[in-house]
Amino acid sequence: MELEKLDGNIIGIISNDFQNEDFSGKKVREIIVKKVNESLKMVRLNLEILDKNFEDLSSRDMNKVILASKLQEKVIILINFSKGMLKKDLEYFKALFKKIKNYDRKIILIDYNAELFIGLVDHYYVFSNNQIKYETKDIFDRVLENYIDMPSIVRFINQCESDGIRLDHYYELDELLKAIYRIKS
Amino acid sequence: MNIESNFNYCILSNNINHEFLKKFFEYPMIDDKLSFNDLKQKIEFNTSKMIVLNDTFYRLNYNEILIIIDLFKKQQMKFIYITSDIEKSLICDKIVVFNNDEIVLNGLKEDVLKEEKVLKRLGFGLPFVVDLSLQLNYYDVLNKIYFDMSSLIGDLWN
Repeated sequence: MELEKLDGNIIGIISNDFQNEDFSGKKVREIIVKKVNESLKMVRLNLEILDKNFEDLSSRDMNKVILASKLQEKVIILINFSKGMLKKDLEYFKALFKKIKNYDRKIILIDYNAELFIGLVDHYYVFSNNQIKYETKDIFDRVLENYIDMPSIVRFINQCESDGIRLDHYYELDELLKAIYRIKS
Repeated sequence: MNIESNFNYCILSNNINHEFLKKFFEYPMIDDKLSFNDLKQKIEFNTSKMIVLNDTFYRLNYNEILIIIDLFKKQQMKFIYITSDIEKSLICDKIVVFNNDEIVLNGLKEDVLKEEKVLKRLGFGLPFVVDLSLQLNYYDVLNKIYFDMSSLIGDLWN
């Protein structure tokens, strides 16, 4: 399956089939080779990281380094990018991916953290043995619950719905709060 | 860091590398590579009373996570869950928050998750349920902080 040909601009893939390239034994400066300063700045890393061994980094920094190394590519494929990331990082990178997409890039996120997907991804695929097992455009699609730990806001809205309270499908806490407040007041 | 054997711990850190994990080498450790069935089997056959889970639930769906936690209870085992994802802290009794190598918060989940400013400043944020209940408290819709989604939904609509 050629991932580049999948429909969508920012694609979310849930799958066990993919692994990151093995960068062990390499210094970061051997991995990020194009537009080094700009790329590091975009992923919020300092120049000091260039002399570090890739395997000594936290998974958070490893993923930032991998992204920095791919920023110039037309199709950016990231595997388990959310691993080690903090909530604040996810917010930043989601905004960055939206910006990058506007420069005619395709972003493919193969990940298990649906908090990275929500409000970002426009097409979801579940892969098994390199075949598409399921696809949807909606993070609130309840079939996805079988494959991934859903974002908390989705679980909340779905659980309310199961209890007979119908809420619109919000992606942001502020919007949800307003809706709850409207119902309760 | 003093680990008490009668609590499940969440270690929240913004820099989980090999050096950091060495702090927990006295306990058996399971990483995030196992599938649900393999993980279940590994826990069932485990004999130690305390085990370190290095973001082990990363690949699991919510129901699978609940099943594994239930298995820990049945086996009377405790765990130390190491992660950067604050949502996972809700499955634990105590939370220790690290900023690089320094402990910045350490205590019962209910106390640590009240430290909104510190957690947001460090980038961890708050778990959705805690954040939502805090905001609903602010608007006088609720009058306590919740750590469990079902209880929050129950009290909100009843």
